[in-house]
Order: sequence, then C-alpha cells, then structure tokens
Amino acid sequence: MIPRVPMSADQDKIISVHELKFVYDGSVRALAGINLDVRRGDYLAIVGGNGSGKTTLAKNMNGLLRPTSGSVAVNGVSTSEQTVAELAKVIGYAFQNPDHQLFCSSVAEEVRFGPLNLGYPEAEVAKKTELSIEAMGLSSVKDLPPFSLTLGERRRVSIASVMAMDPQVFILDEPTTGLDARETDDLMDSIDRLNIDGHTVVLITHDMKLVAKHAKRVVVMSEGRIVLDSDPGGVFADLELLLRSKLVPPPVAQLAHRLSSLGVPREVLSPEELVFHLMSGRGARK
Amino acid sequence: MTGFIDLYTEAGTFLHRTDPRVKIVAVATLSLLALIMSNLVNLLVLAAVMVVLILFGRASFKKTMLAFSYVFRVMALIVVLWPLFNPGGTPVLFDLWPIKITEPGILAGIATAVRIFCLAAAWYLLMFTTSQRDLVRGLVKMGLRFDFGLSLAMSLRFLPTFSAIVESIKEAQRARGLELDKGNFRKRAKDYVAVLVPTVITALKMADTLSLALQSRAYGARADRTYVRELKMRAGDYVALFIAVAVFAIPATVKYIFSVPL
Repeated sequence: MIPRVPMSADQDKIISVHELKFVYDGSVRALAGINLDVRRGDYLAIVGGNGSGKTTLAKNMNGLLRPTSGSVAVNGVSTSEQTVAELAKVIGYAFQNPDHQLFCSSVAEEVRFGPLNLGYPEAEVAKKTELSIEAMGLSSVKDLPPFSLTLGERRRVSIASVMAMDPQVFILDEPTTGLDARETDDLMDSIDRLNIDGHTVVLITHDMKLVAKHAKRVVVMSEGRIVLDSDPGGVFADLELLLRSKLVPPPVAQLAHRLSSLGVPREVLSPEELVFHLMSGRGARK
Repeated sequence: MTGFIDLYTEAGTFLHRTDPRVKIVAVATLSLLALIMSNLVNLLVLAAVMVVLILFGRASFKKTMLAFSYVFRVMALIVVLWPLFNPGGTPVLFDLWPIKITEPGILAGIATAVRIFCLAAAWYLLMFTTSQRDLVRGLVKMGLRFDFGLSLAMSLRFLPTFSAIVESIKEAQRARGLELDKGNFRKRAKDYVAVLVPTVITALKMADTLSLALQSRAYGARADRTYVRELKMRAGDYVALFIAVAVFAIPATVKYIFSVPL
C-alpha cells in the first residue's frame, strides 16, 4: 500500500515509479527494478531496443499492467487502487497500431467514444470532441469512416480520441512508425503543441532523430532497466551506452563525435548547432 | 495471457511416431466404441485404457489439466442433471414431487459422463501426440483437398497470433475508458462491438496480406504438387491400424451379431 504523497512536496511529480518489477506469465522478466519520476510538463522520450521494456513500463503507468513488485503512483495515488478507466482520465494512452482501436463509422463518433465512457455530460463531450478534432487537423474528414483514412490520419484519430478524454499525460507508443517524413513532421508538430499547452508527453520510440528534435528528457532502457536518464544532448554524448542499448544516435550526433577533435562538443542535436560550432571552432583557431 | 494453447507436446513415444492417418482412424474407432457401450463397468475399463494411453503419450501435465478442465465441468453437470431429468427404473431412492431420483438414473448419468470422458480423451490423445502439421498432412493424404488442408493449417497457426491481437485490442479500448465485463447483458454486448469491429478488420487485412504472400511464393503454380515429406506406412503402423480397427470391430460384432449387451 502506497501512502498518499503530501501534495506540497511532490506536486510536480505526476507519475512516480518506485522499484517497479514486472514479470509476464510468471516467467518472462520484462522490468527489473525501475525508478522514474515523470514531472508535470515533461516531454519525455523512453527509448531502447525492441524488448527492452518500454511498452511494459508504459502499460504499468496507465494500469493495464499491475506491478509484480514495487509501485507506480499517479498524482500520488497508487495505480493498484484505481481502475484503468479511472486512470484514463489522467493518463491518455495511444497504442502503436491505431487499427486496434478504431471501430466507429465516423471519425467524430470515434473521438466521442472515450469521453462518453468517462461519463462526461453531452455538452462537454461535444466540446471536447470538436476541440480534439480541430487540434489534430481532422476537421475535413470528421464525417468519414476512420478506416478509409491514411495511416497518418488514423494515427491522428487515435491521438484525438485520447485527447478528447482530456488527460494530463499523453503516452504515445511509436506514434510515427510507418509514416512518411511529411506526416511525421505534421504529427510531431501537433504533439509539440500538446506539450506547449502544458500537457505531459511520454513518447515511446526508437527513432533517435525524433528524440533529438522534440524531446526534452530522455530515458534509455535496456533489458528491463533504465540505463540513462538525461537531456537529449547528454544521451547522444554517450555513444557507447547507446550502442549497447541497441540504439544509434542521429547522423548529426555521430558527425559531432567524429569532429570532436576539432573542438565540436559531443552533445550536438541539430545541423544548425553543428554548423554553429564548426564556424566558431574555425574562428577560434585562426 | 492468451486464451489458446497448442496441445501438442514434442516427444518420441510410439504414439508420436505412429502415422497420423492411423491415429485419426483410431480416434474414430475409439469414439464409436465409447458410443456403443452403455455398461458402466465396460466404460470405466475403456476410460482407464485412455488414461494409460494419455500417460504413455507424455503430454505436459499443465496442458492435460487445462484441456480436461472443460470436460470435467461438463461431466459434473451430466452427473447432477441426468438423474433429475431421467428418473427411470427402480429402486427409487428419493421421491419428493417434482423431484424423483432412481438408482438406474444415477448410474446412467455416471455412465454418460464416463462416455463423454472417453470421447474427449480419444480426441485429446490425437491432439496431444500429433503436431498440427502432421495432422493436416494426414488429412490431406486421406483425401482432403490440399487447399482446404492448407487453410486448416494456417488457421491453427494463426490462432495464437490472433488471440494476442484480441488481447491488444481489448487493452486499447480499456485505455479509452471502456469497462468490459461490467454492467448488464445489453451493455456488455454493446461494449464488445468495440472489440469485435477492430478484430474483424484486422483479421481481414491479415488474410489479405497472407494471400498475397502465398501468391508471391508461387502457391498454386502447378496442379500436380510435390511434397517435401511424404507419409509412409511402416510395419508398426499397420499393426497399430489393425489393433485400432479390431478394438471396435470385435465388440461391435459381439454386440450386434451375438446380441450381448455391452
């Protein structure tokens, strides 16, 4: 039993994971002791190779999975004292495959499903639906059946349907898999906006370019453990650790590593930064 | 986590090595044998033989228990309900309108339960000791059209995959605040639409991809198929086949020609 954490001390902690261990079917160890605090307003990327435990950790955060040992608290209350539906009011979770949740005959109906389940009054449901559809850029397709849309649009529908439940945290599992560059940029822009509006975003991915460009904090997972928790620059500076965790830093970070003898710092995240350091480095030499 | 398991357990016993066609015939004859017998003692002997055969087939204990847990429930129901609804003969043990229980009623209930056990055991014996691949191979050799056999093999192959997908769909909808298995029947039925629709659509997409994958590997390019593994009856298989047929033929002769009740 987890005591309620006094609000004053840990007000900014929205999800608090303590010594979390999780075992599937009594034998497959997926998480081997996770400690992690997600703070209000975080833009957190959980990265790691396939099978490193990213999704298992995320499912423990919204109660779909319950800790084998240890604890997960959301807003100071242990998840084991709350139903998945109760947690859904705080933690929105968009699954990797949008086709696993779409079933209505129109986008608008699909988006309404969540807030209706949570028991919001009709007027509020309508308002939340309208806002989410607009925020995800789906206004023009809102009367079409979700299955007639492109994968990028279906992802947006699944995120809009989470958004309509008005959660404080968005957990997005591999939101850009299968999207082209343009669709990825558009979707990530919408996700950035969620964070700017004060929502906490937890991004599960192994796309390092995405992490470099968008996340403010990165947690690297390997074999059911957190091996690093830092800002993106700090993560990309540790090439060894990334490779051991079956990850490859984005090309610009790799280039920075190769150029470190020229005085370029290892934690470069964007081409612009690299150019800046190269220019200033050359200037210093002259 | 998933609702479906493959009952087959790999082992090198005599039952595993026997030609699947012989085993399919044996299931048929053992089932027929259980159906023509009505004497409790005879049925118990048959049940004991089945238990020995299952032990001999070295199926995993967990799988065996799981498989039979359903059978035991049905058996318990029969033992309880049969005497209530079929109170024939004497002596009457209990008579309080509208409930009447007789000794032959109870015995017939137990015999029927044991018969159900024998029928289930015969089928499980086949499932425990024959891989899905061999089973389909046997059926095709016995005259099932190859494409039907392939469909059967693929549906068996995709059952676990499918059950994982259903699990994932349920999770996705629960994360949207859907509370399955809560509320009255109408609400539950309505809630399951949210699981059913994505399941059907995902299944159709999967089937579509699968058929393209089959075509791209030249499925059906030649009318006369060749097989990597041909089934061949060995001496031991003929012996087993003879026993399997005799096990039914002898009691059937005794019962129907010599009119001895079994």
